[in-house]
Amino acid sequence: MNEHRRQILEMLAAGKITAEQAEKLLTAIEPEHTSVPVGEYAGTIGGATAAPAATIKTRAKYLRVLVEADESRTGKKGLSTVNVRVPMQLLRAGVRLAALIPQQAHNQFDEALSRHGVPLTLSQIKPENLEELVDHLEDLTVEMNGAEGNKAKVRVFCE
Amino acid sequence: MIPTAAIVRIQSPHWRGFRLWIPLFLLWIPILLLSPLILLVLLACCIAGGIDFFSAVATFWGLLAGLRGTDVRVASNGSHVTVSIL
Repeated sequence: MNEHRRQILEMLAAGKITAEQAEKLLTAIEPEHTSVPVGEYAGTIGGATAAPAATIKTRAKYLRVLVEADESRTGKKGLSTVNVRVPMQLLRAGVRLAALIPQQAHNQFDEALSRHGVPLTLSQIKPENLEELVDHLEDLTVEMNGAEGNKAKVRVFCE
Repeated sequence: MIPTAAIVRIQSPHWRGFRLWIPLFLLWIPILLLSPLILLVLLACCIAGGIDFFSAVATFWGLLAGLRGTDVRVASNGSHVTVSIL
């Protein structure tokens, strides 16, 4: 019996708290219901001792991009795959590098991107935006269908 | 932590593949020796571009340190290419 549980039971025995309050407190300190606030980033792991529904939020370390394309798309025999793991630290450094780029270069970059159909403003990409994006990027799967019925699947997630 | 090694592995069903271990830590020795010169060039670039020198150094260091853990695997037509930075 751990110390917190003993204290709660002693308080209950002493009549300082009601049975309902003790139940709530015991539920709160149970490990399988504990959400560890170690980071604000998405990422769910299941521990060996954890209850099936329990999730523990961890700080995502890597961004993984998986691309799978079938034979019809690549013209190669068998499934073609690309599996890229990028450390989040590298992405953050890249965003900070973008912040160092002078404003006139930003404008040229934005114009070039918009010409190619990407409405992105470089100056709006900030480290806090990246973290917000990562926070919501638990698992993103994009399936692309080509004109001839060929398929490719892109999966992006943090781990 | 800056990367210390890179591993390039190429496997093919048609010929014997190979695994190349690149000791990146050996590169740090000349870079360390040349660091005063590199910092001077960076300082000149920062002054010319109107960029904060310390932010630039921190960013480049972040990029260098962030490379560790990068892993790229490509498989196609039975061939596999893997690049890992350790």
